[in-house]
Amino acid sequence: MSVIAVTRLELRRLFVRPLAWVLAALTLAQLGWRFTLLLGGFLAGQIKLAALPGGPGYTDLVGVPMLSSILTGSMLPFGVVELALVIVPLLTMSTIAGERSNGTLPLWFAAGLPASRIVLGKYFALMLWLVLWLALAVAMPLSLSHGVTLDWGKLAAASLGTLLTLAALAAIGVACSAYASHASIAASVALTIGLALAGVNIAAQLAGATSGVVNWLALSGHLEAMLRGLVSTADIAWFVLVIVVALALATQRLAAEKERG
Amino acid sequence: MTAPTAVLELDHITRHRAGRPAVSGLTLRLDSGQVLGLLGVNGAGKSTTLAMIAGALAPDSGNIRLNGEDFLERPELARQSVGWLPERAPLWPELSVAEHIDAHGRLRGLRGAALTQAHKAIVERLELGALSRRLAGVLSQGQRQRLGLACALMHKPQLLVLDEPANALDPVQVAALREVIREQAAAGTAVILSTHLLAEVTAACDRVAILHEGQLRYDGLVDGGDHKALEQTFFDIAMRGNEGKNRMQAA
Repeated sequence: MSVIAVTRLELRRLFVRPLAWVLAALTLAQLGWRFTLLLGGFLAGQIKLAALPGGPGYTDLVGVPMLSSILTGSMLPFGVVELALVIVPLLTMSTIAGERSNGTLPLWFAAGLPASRIVLGKYFALMLWLVLWLALAVAMPLSLSHGVTLDWGKLAAASLGTLLTLAALAAIGVACSAYASHASIAASVALTIGLALAGVNIAAQLAGATSGVVNWLALSGHLEAMLRGLVSTADIAWFVLVIVVALALATQRLAAEKERG
Repeated sequence: MTAPTAVLELDHITRHRAGRPAVSGLTLRLDSGQVLGLLGVNGAGKSTTLAMIAGALAPDSGNIRLNGEDFLERPELARQSVGWLPERAPLWPELSVAEHIDAHGRLRGLRGAALTQAHKAIVERLELGALSRRLAGVLSQGQRQRLGLACALMHKPQLLVLDEPANALDPVQVAALREVIREQAAAGTAVILSTHLLAEVTAACDRVAILHEGQLRYDGLVDGGDHKALEQTFFDIAMRGNEGKNRMQAA
């Protein structure tokens, strides 16, 4: 029950902060622009595409690229995943580091809550915000579902992959916020870790290596399969592992802080 | 006649901070309805002691019992039984006064009608109605203290822990605070408040404990407002330490 109380409080704090609204407005406007461009491209090439047997459809050219540009390669304007690499650290930076500088952290300890519940409560609040954000982004390609043939399975797999990416980035952000003395440091470190995880295998792939530890470490490898519509237990396990490790580290740091005072 | 119930028992608690003992072997008992003033010079260990009693800080050794139950084994007791107002009322600047009160109520386990009723009662008692929608970030120091006190009292705690509550309050606000403390004590709440103001102790407390260099040096009843005797005891204790010697030399 106390996790819900923490989540509720954290969600309220998130929604009254201008930062969350500004980020939502800017990113959704940018995603709207991306949607318009992708849709324009799809409509322009529709005759050519219709002639190709088994050629890419609306889902491949509009739905999935809205979520990430990993498959299409054209980065700008950004997809949900690329935007998340930047905005999730900004959203998560104050979760614990902000409490520390506010002097409100001891209040949580004095409420008799274990560190794990504080971390989970805050994490769930962030996830609720991110789920809402993702839902609004996915709603753009879905808005035309009545007039196009949508590959629901592929879009669902891609959305799941994107959601897991957001969950992993949020967990990393919370962990960074737990360790950093200032919110800005937390954001910088979370951004660096996120970018490193996303691009750790680029050099390996350029060198022709398609397997190995470096590729396994890379977020993009696990996300790419899901964007193609392939959901595997190994990929889901990778995301779950990252989330669990990051939240465990945040919990341990918070518990140690209570001990140390 | 029944013996008074011990709400709080500290049993040889010790806590180190920055490599030195901030509190050392402190043993203390507080009964229901009692108001204990914790006196000490700056750095005597008052805030550390109160943070441990409030559950915000764990002692290195020793036991803390709340109503006879081990507080360290059951930290959730803090949620139910302790109200804490730290030295600077910690508030979330982006939340309103009403939101703070509700959030604290929920964190302390209040729900539904009980939460609404407690909210209404505390807002009325501490005259926070006019400030209800104001953000905590724009409150004056006195208003912040009042809100902090409301949050601490929201769940009707059995033990109220106040760390330098009269700091930055004007005389009218101090008088109102004393009234609240007396009301709480009359209702059976044990109150422990730290201060370095002797007048605060004689006016609001019925017992005084003097901490010096993390150790309990004096524990006795406040003698009918005998300010002079208490002052003498306090200075004797303070002067005995190194800090006291240095002060005397400086003077």
